[in-house]
Amino acid sequence: MKVLDRRKMIQVSGGLLALLLLSVVGCVLLGPVPLDLSRAFENLSSANSDAEILFRARLPRVLLGVAIGGGMASCGVVLQALLRNPLACPQVLGVSGGASLGGILGLIFLPGWMASVWGGFLGEISWVPLAAFIGALLSMLLIYRLSLFHRRIHPYQLLLSGVIFNAFVAAIIMFLNSIVDFYQAQGLLFWLMGNLSTRAYLTVGFIWLYVLLGFAWLWSQGVSLNLITLGEEAAMQLGVEIGSTQRRIFVATSLMIGAMVSVSGMIGFVGLMVPHAMRLIVGSDHRLLLPASFLAGGIFLAWADTLARILLAPAELPVGIITAFFGGPFFLFLLYREGRKRIAL
Amino acid sequence: MKQSGRYFFAVIFIALQLCLVGSEGMAQERPRTASTPAIPKKIISLAPSVTEILFALGLGDRLVGVTTFCNYPPEAQRIAKIGDFINPNVEAIIAKKPDLVIGVSGATDPDKARQMERLGLKVTLVPVPTLQKILSSIRLIADLGGKEAAGERLVSSLQAQINRVHKAVGRAPRRSVLMVVGLQPLIAVGKKNFIDELITLAGGENITGGVAQPWLNLPTEYVVAKAPQVIIEAGMGTEQEESGKRWADLKSIPAVKERRIYSYRSDKILRPGPRFGEALEEIARLIHPECFAEANRNLKNGNGCEGPRP
Repeated sequence: MKVLDRRKMIQVSGGLLALLLLSVVGCVLLGPVPLDLSRAFENLSSANSDAEILFRARLPRVLLGVAIGGGMASCGVVLQALLRNPLACPQVLGVSGGASLGGILGLIFLPGWMASVWGGFLGEISWVPLAAFIGALLSMLLIYRLSLFHRRIHPYQLLLSGVIFNAFVAAIIMFLNSIVDFYQAQGLLFWLMGNLSTRAYLTVGFIWLYVLLGFAWLWSQGVSLNLITLGEEAAMQLGVEIGSTQRRIFVATSLMIGAMVSVSGMIGFVGLMVPHAMRLIVGSDHRLLLPASFLAGGIFLAWADTLARILLAPAELPVGIITAFFGGPFFLFLLYREGRKRIAL
Repeated sequence: MKQSGRYFFAVIFIALQLCLVGSEGMAQERPRTASTPAIPKKIISLAPSVTEILFALGLGDRLVGVTTFCNYPPEAQRIAKIGDFINPNVEAIIAKKPDLVIGVSGATDPDKARQMERLGLKVTLVPVPTLQKILSSIRLIADLGGKEAAGERLVSSLQAQINRVHKAVGRAPRRSVLMVVGLQPLIAVGKKNFIDELITLAGGENITGGVAQPWLNLPTEYVVAKAPQVIIEAGMGTEQEESGKRWADLKSIPAVKERRIYSYRSDKILRPGPRFGEALEEIARLIHPECFAEANRNLKNGNGCEGPRP
């Protein structure tokens, strides 16, 4: 095992962090309505529309996008490593779908008094992320179990199970959509499309908390992940406890995906595209790849959401459309390249 | 492989034929004024607004089927259901042997309408995208049901309601209004929507004006930039508790500063039916409360709301 190159680590992470900060500033400055910056900073205490657009409407949304983009990308990295499958990501594996379904079921069926009791403690987000987390965990376990034969995960089995599970979940969501109140239905659809919107700072803070906790947990598994990518047998011989590592990673990613999906719905492809791009750039040492993917995922989603706000101004697009627009062709390209490699062998 | 190819072509061929057949009997808007030869005794409504119109015309007792969304008037809930507004069940409709099926053009699935026509049912789709179209649809339904006089009465009472509101708020300066039907994400009423007309008649000005869509998903910053003086939340979702927090931080919006955020959770305003007059008056009271306050009546020119003087 190669020793982590600290200089490279600092260069890559520092560079990406600087790029992320620049992106946050850039995305906050861009939007469908014009902005007078001098007025925005003139008098922050009084009610000032430019300052509110900047700090109340755009900044929390951009920060939320960064957290979700980063979280999705890091989940993609670890799932790809753990399952040794380049096409793994929260959406393809059906985990986002499971989280959506859990969240929607929580939203519809958990009684109203729970909302007010827990809502008092936790602000806007409350038990919906919990329900989404349970949905994410259960669906991940199900997909995992369905593709495990003779203690080995079969990649194409896994992929297909995930895709079919996602379609199944979409059908259940559409079913729920047609039995609930007509006006509730509109709100449900956004879970399917993936949508960022302005949330209270408290909510954004909670999402950051979930994502950072999950990320720290995943990062601490970096060395094990490096060994697992060599193959499960090799990893076991080198002292990795595959079972417990898998469990820890499933719980951490489910927690992150549950929290993210509960505020943004299913934003696809970030967790697929960003890890691959980063692997090409920084290599596949997970101790470096994970933070690099987190930062790059944040950058990507912040810009994708800025496009979503601007393209059809003043109306906005669901950001899931933008990510799928870039991600769909990318996924097909990867699939083709993998297929060619396998057949050439 | 060969066989599946043959099936494929057979399916395509049949589908093409269906298209041809379908285009013959288009069930589009048929603005018929001549009274129909036989007055229908069994009517099925495919939309909540149509159900309301039928009841308002005194034709409610002839309804033999409504959608699961038809909840007004309360009597409508006791009528047999033939599916929901989006997906009416053609078999259930045929089983009722109706003389007339009334849907809404643009909302009722035209394929299903054609399908029903092919099966020998009489289907009428009424247009409801603007207030004028709603009024003419009321007349059309009244004609079809043989209730011309009731139709005229209903239309003129709605027009009287419009005039009354205009008289009350006509002189008041227009207030900019944001009307939303969903908070998360923020879905607002656009220009291509009869609710936009209601806002204008109620003395408001829709801040999304100029965007030719019936509904649009707005970013929060757009609302801050347009600074509406009144915000009306007309959604019926489960989002009540979110509403306060949603706007509280945005004090530069006049509606937030002056506490002119109202919850109008009634389906009256969302339905292009005979209760739009009531909805109009109620939102006019929200947009211009000073024009309706009884205490202000006595003040001379105190509020600038008086209509044209005789």
